[in-house]
Amino acid sequence: MRQRVGRSIARAKFINTALLGRKRPVMERVVDIAHVDSSKAIQPLMKELETDTTEARYKVLQSVLEIYDDEKNIEPALTKEFHKMYLDVAFEISLPPQMTALDASQPWMLYWIANSLKVMDRDWLSDDTKRKIVDKLFTISPSGGPFGGGPGQLSHLASTYAAINALSLCDNIDGCWDRIDRKGIYQWLISLKEPNGGFKTCLEVGEVDTRGIYCALSIATLLNILTEELTEGVLNYLKNCQNYEGGFGSCPHVDEAHGGYTFCATASLAILRSMDQINVEKLLEWSSARQLQEERGFCGRSNKLVDGCYSFWVGGSAAILEAFGYGQCFSKHALRDYILYCCQEKEQPGLRDKPGAHSDFYHTNYCLLGLAVAESSYSCTPNDSPHNIKCTPDRLIGSSKLTDVNPVYGLPIENVRKIIHYFKSNLSSPS
Amino acid sequence: MEEYDYSDVKPLPIETDLQDELCRIMYTEDYKRLMGLARALISLNELSPRALQLTAEIIDVAPAFYTIWNYRFNIVRHMMSESEDTVLYLNKELDWLDEVTLNNPKNYQIWSYRQSLLKLHPSPSFKRELPILKLMIDDDSKNYHVWSYRKWCCLFFSDFQHELAYASDLIETDIYNNSAWTHRMFYWVNAKDVISKVELADELQFIMDKIQLVPQNISPWTYLRGFQELFHDRLQWDSKVVDFATTFIGDVLSLPIGSPEDLPEIESSYALEFLAYHWGADPCTRDNAVKAYSLLAIKYDPIRKNLWHHKINNLN
Repeated sequence: MRQRVGRSIARAKFINTALLGRKRPVMERVVDIAHVDSSKAIQPLMKELETDTTEARYKVLQSVLEIYDDEKNIEPALTKEFHKMYLDVAFEISLPPQMTALDASQPWMLYWIANSLKVMDRDWLSDDTKRKIVDKLFTISPSGGPFGGGPGQLSHLASTYAAINALSLCDNIDGCWDRIDRKGIYQWLISLKEPNGGFKTCLEVGEVDTRGIYCALSIATLLNILTEELTEGVLNYLKNCQNYEGGFGSCPHVDEAHGGYTFCATASLAILRSMDQINVEKLLEWSSARQLQEERGFCGRSNKLVDGCYSFWVGGSAAILEAFGYGQCFSKHALRDYILYCCQEKEQPGLRDKPGAHSDFYHTNYCLLGLAVAESSYSCTPNDSPHNIKCTPDRLIGSSKLTDVNPVYGLPIENVRKIIHYFKSNLSSPS
Repeated sequence: MEEYDYSDVKPLPIETDLQDELCRIMYTEDYKRLMGLARALISLNELSPRALQLTAEIIDVAPAFYTIWNYRFNIVRHMMSESEDTVLYLNKELDWLDEVTLNNPKNYQIWSYRQSLLKLHPSPSFKRELPILKLMIDDDSKNYHVWSYRKWCCLFFSDFQHELAYASDLIETDIYNNSAWTHRMFYWVNAKDVISKVELADELQFIMDKIQLVPQNISPWTYLRGFQELFHDRLQWDSKVVDFATTFIGDVLSLPIGSPEDLPEIESSYALEFLAYHWGADPCTRDNAVKAYSLLAIKYDPIRKNLWHHKINNLN
């Protein structure tokens, strides 16, 4: 009953905003700089129309600039132990019913939490926890993969990606890597392939987009089951996802360039060693344009709001380009400021999207990965495989002493190397 | 809503018997009952009206549960083949889906499900899709899934007749709406071979008018570059466009590069970036490009300093 009432209210609210409220004429008015407090050094926007876009941005700007102003004399620092508490608790207690929304994303939770711990400190993922991760994943898929969102759920590309990432973090404890059904996963990946080069996320109603490609290629390289059969048509698909803006969209039909899809495409191109097949200069331009002067963090699309998760989706793409020698296109210093000042909060552990938002596992993981990227420099031998990307601390930038991460896989460098070497040396490719 | 009897179905457990399971969710009893029934019916592959009803109830509480969407698709495909009027049956399903769509603006599964239904439909109609798409965009004018789905529809139905006007409307409402600008480019990319000289000139005028209104707006500048490149080689850009861009940068190009405080404000850093890109293509104007990039680094877009230095290195 409660559900019904809630829905009716939501619907009424929707109709109000959708049908009555939103459509209003454009107001032509010059916005006074005082509107956003000129004392805080905002670049003047000479002529401006006030629209939904500017309104939303000013709201964020006010809270962000207030933080920068209040804390300008405080050296920013990652409150590691505090965040560890949040993550440890998540692994110790049962999650409340409100978390049922994540019922179809259980491997993701394992990856986000375990990876966050490991990125903060390589010793924070205990053997006991690793065993529990393994138990849970092989309960979701007793046959050893592919994996669904939970027990009894259909196999899904994103779940399988998260599961393989989580297993990479478990260091082959108790020989768990031998329990992965690589042959089964390979055949399943092939069955998801579409004629246009993309992959369906699941059979048979599933999205086909750059996300699916990245998940498939990441899984396949970590398990050493990447074949020409699997990659056929993929490059062409990806090339057609780069639009005039320079970033990548979800589908090859001039979709809007988006941070998440751009990461998926860039990481996929690195795996295919085909970065030279796209317009890299435009990708650099687009990526760098995602960093906002005043907020210092990244937004995911042109004229959208800053969000901590793009610290990795865009920052990680930029790090991949840096690794392959295409240049370093953003301010790592400023990104670090945004993550440390704006994505942490004193009263609440975990990292977040932006001031005013609550922390969650997703943002905790991607803010930490973004921070790792911001504090490091990346290099790689030209045309080398992306698991050989090297990471060195950037001496000009402060250090949170994080674990070195591989931007292509969103995992610690050592874990990526270890699992890839394991499957390269032990077992042969199934095809 | 019709009441169905599930008393003959033994729900399957949805909880594991793992000791100390990580991230165990404390499901409500109601959720356990619904999901347990669904798991049982799926394992029996029951394709029935009561199974269909159950999927609706589950989607209501767990819209991201993709397994149920797939199960529902199988049920619909089966029941459609048994119904007397396939079109009517699928339209009813689309009506139901509209309702779910309105309540779940951020959901991924809805859109691939819609695509699958339209592919199944004997006489799908773009016209039927338009109102729901419009409602969704009115509520969130940058909803990525909706824009992407709309493009898919245009290609699926080979129908682009409403798109240019629609994009104009949305840009009229919010000139910063990059999704609408991108949709406009989608239109031209697909109309590339049939565009007339008049349309080309009109579109250019449209862009310049929008930039004139708000010069410091990344969307139309990127679009302008994209539009130029769609129809012209980088060196062959319309001088009218280049002159137009020059009006937003004052006389900074002729000033000595000093400290940022000594440089005047300009109306648009994106104009300077646009011009630098254009000048960089021609050795005769390369010096201008280097200067423009230096100005961007020092004063007009300093957070992207690394990129501008990279550009200068490329030019040298």
